[in-house]
Amino acid sequence: MLKELDPLLHSQLRLAIVSILMSVDEADFVYIRKKTDSTAGNLSVQLEKLSAAEYISTKRIIDGKKTRTLCRMTDKGRNAFENYVEALKDYLNIKK
Amino acid sequence: MEEKKIDEKESIELILQMIQSTKEYIGIGNGNHFLYWGYFTVILAVVIQSIYELTGWRQCGWLWMLMFVFWIFMSIIGKRKCNPVMTYTNKVINHVWYAIGIMFLVTFAVIAILGVTYDNYRSLDLMMPLSSLYVGIGVSTTGIIIQNKVTSYLPLLGIGIGLYILAALYLDLSFPIPANLLFGLSFVLIMIIPGHVLNKKENKEC
Repeated sequence: MLKELDPLLHSQLRLAIVSILMSVDEADFVYIRKKTDSTAGNLSVQLEKLSAAEYISTKRIIDGKKTRTLCRMTDKGRNAFENYVEALKDYLNIKK
Repeated sequence: MEEKKIDEKESIELILQMIQSTKEYIGIGNGNHFLYWGYFTVILAVVIQSIYELTGWRQCGWLWMLMFVFWIFMSIIGKRKCNPVMTYTNKVINHVWYAIGIMFLVTFAVIAILGVTYDNYRSLDLMMPLSSLYVGIGVSTTGIIIQNKVTSYLPLLGIGIGLYILAALYLDLSFPIPANLLFGLSFVLIMIIPGHVLNKKENKEC
């Protein structure tokens, strides 16, 4: 029987955010917004959802006169992403 | 991009696309940092040697303390320049240089304390060869992490020069060329050439 895909990750923008954060150690809000081509409002909402699920951690820092939000994956998020990719392989019948 | 459901195939494509888009930051980076440090050190070595030869002022070695001023200056500049993303490679390299920086401070502190305690500052001469060793190890380690052969192996020659200066000081040998200039030469091998190689490689990849 096929495993259920994690509903939190099985959404276009959230999956894009997590894929970016899996490739780097840390990325800021502006970088993620540019890479995902999303609006600031929508991105904030999705980051909040991922953060509430403890898939990512966010940190606000003051950089000169600006505030930057830095995001990074948590261990829980990494495990969830790995499980999600494993489940995708089953769905697409990709041999392990 | 929005919050919308996607099918399994789209998911895989999206993951690959996002990983690909972050790849530009996983490049080797430019060698400007090595060049700033390398040229500053070489110019300072030539200036100190020239002052010594022109004036005979033996205490001009204290001008090496300008390296610490340059360090503070570079740290301030570095803090102003914020990277939007931190890769794992950058993080490891930052940690390597943090450790090298600590080694410098500890070495300087020990040498200074010995100098004050025994009222003999001759051991300050050790800072030069030790700098070649520490910086050479740092650049070589960086080269291994970013998988660049010139940056990995050329600094070993500079480390060799540092070891030669160290041995010559210990054995009280005379130098064929002034130690300040030998030290400058070691930095050409350790930082300037690798810096230019990295810049050339980055320009090619862009």
